[in-house]
Amino acid sequence: MVNEERLRHMIKMAQFDTNDGKQCKPMIQYARKDYVSMRLLGSFVAGTICYGMMFGLWGLYSMEELLEKLNKLDIQGLLIAALVPYIVFMVFYLGATWVVFHMKYTNGRRKVKRYYSNLKKVNQMYEREDRLKSAENKDWD
Amino acid sequence: MTTILELKEKMIRFYGRYEVYITPIAKFVVAFVIFCMINLNIGYMKSISRTPIALILALLCSILPAGGTIFLVAAVILADMYALSIEVCLVALILFLLIYFVYFRFAPKYGLGVLLTPVCFKLNIPYIMPLGMGLLGEIYSVFALICGTVVYFFLDGVKENAALLGAAAEEGAETNSKIVIALNQLLGNKEMFLVLGIMVAALIIVYIVRRMSIENAWQIAIISGILFETVGMIAGYMMLGISGKTVAVLVGNIISAVIGLVLQFLFFNLDYSRTERLQFEDDEYYYYVKAVPKAYVPGTDKKVKRFGGKDEKERLTKKQFAREMDIDEDLLD
Repeated sequence: MVNEERLRHMIKMAQFDTNDGKQCKPMIQYARKDYVSMRLLGSFVAGTICYGMMFGLWGLYSMEELLEKLNKLDIQGLLIAALVPYIVFMVFYLGATWVVFHMKYTNGRRKVKRYYSNLKKVNQMYEREDRLKSAENKDWD
Repeated sequence: MTTILELKEKMIRFYGRYEVYITPIAKFVVAFVIFCMINLNIGYMKSISRTPIALILALLCSILPAGGTIFLVAAVILADMYALSIEVCLVALILFLLIYFVYFRFAPKYGLGVLLTPVCFKLNIPYIMPLGMGLLGEIYSVFALICGTVVYFFLDGVKENAALLGAAAEEGAETNSKIVIALNQLLGNKEMFLVLGIMVAALIIVYIVRRMSIENAWQIAIISGILFETVGMIAGYMMLGISGKTVAVLVGNIISAVIGLVLQFLFFNLDYSRTERLQFEDDEYYYYVKAVPKAYVPGTDKKVKRFGGKDEKERLTKKQFAREMDIDEDLLD
């Protein structure tokens, strides 16, 4: 027979699995610090690619100017001119990553806690059922 | 007031019952409007800029999530840009890739924001976007707003300079100059930076005020957001020396404020939780569950039972009662 009380908790767990399960899975596996660090690492790669593309666009935009100055191009100056915006951009991009994923972790953790409380209840119900089904208890059948 | 509240209740029930149909229809309408706007404004590739194609694509979008719609819209835009000039297409592609790194990383759930922002710009009511997203979303929805705004200004700039970009191709002008023209729509567009700054600030203001524990937080958030946008835009345009936009800003903001209040009416303190279909299993059973939120049920299952009505069939007579009790009717006198 279907245990309705247990089913109620299982439905809530299934809802979490379908809607937020994929997104919240890393929040179950990792502590806040590790989760945010992992995202920061990803953002570092993504941000560098992003900046590379933007730098490429800027290069195309000021191609004429660059070609004119080609002979007397100050490589060191150009590197500094590329590096300073890169650092500023990365500080902003990584800062945004830190804030956004901190918020996401806080929200996700709340959902995960509810999920675990349901899981705990379902587990308790199973244990109780097992005890009742065991040989000492003949009333069960 | 009671009528309005009743209407609200009815709408929630209606949505709850027909959510399966309403959501795809809404997605279809939004996608169709977007494709029609693209065709009308930047439909340079004639073979795909036709209403039947737009209809088919919109139908496809009705079953896709917002991310899928964005992908299709981006593909159509890229095709149009390609028809105009390959250089513009290249710039658009890089722009979309940049957006991918910002939007899909931070706010993948706010796809509708990215899609609706350019549409609202075209309808001259972009001011509603910071309000709507600040009221209904998280603060990181700001990235979706930024992406939508940048896309609009880029496409608008391309449309304005379409003759120049198209002509350049025929006259064999330098590839470089076309890229510069296309990039100028982004890098040299001071109006875009002004609008971006104002809208981002407005969204943050609306979000912060909405979350404050004060009375009428939503109304105050709407009013403060609209006031900030109006004053900021007018002052910004004056600073940049762009004239003739004051009336448009005022009218757009008034309409946006009204829409903001409608949003408040529809969404304030209300949970439009959907009917969900779930599948799971335990040791003994497979469960196929349709979970219907409780709020939607009572209205449909309500039964009215009348007591003491005048209907003869319903009324309990002395004769009937005596028969039921199996006693003599005279005993009841």
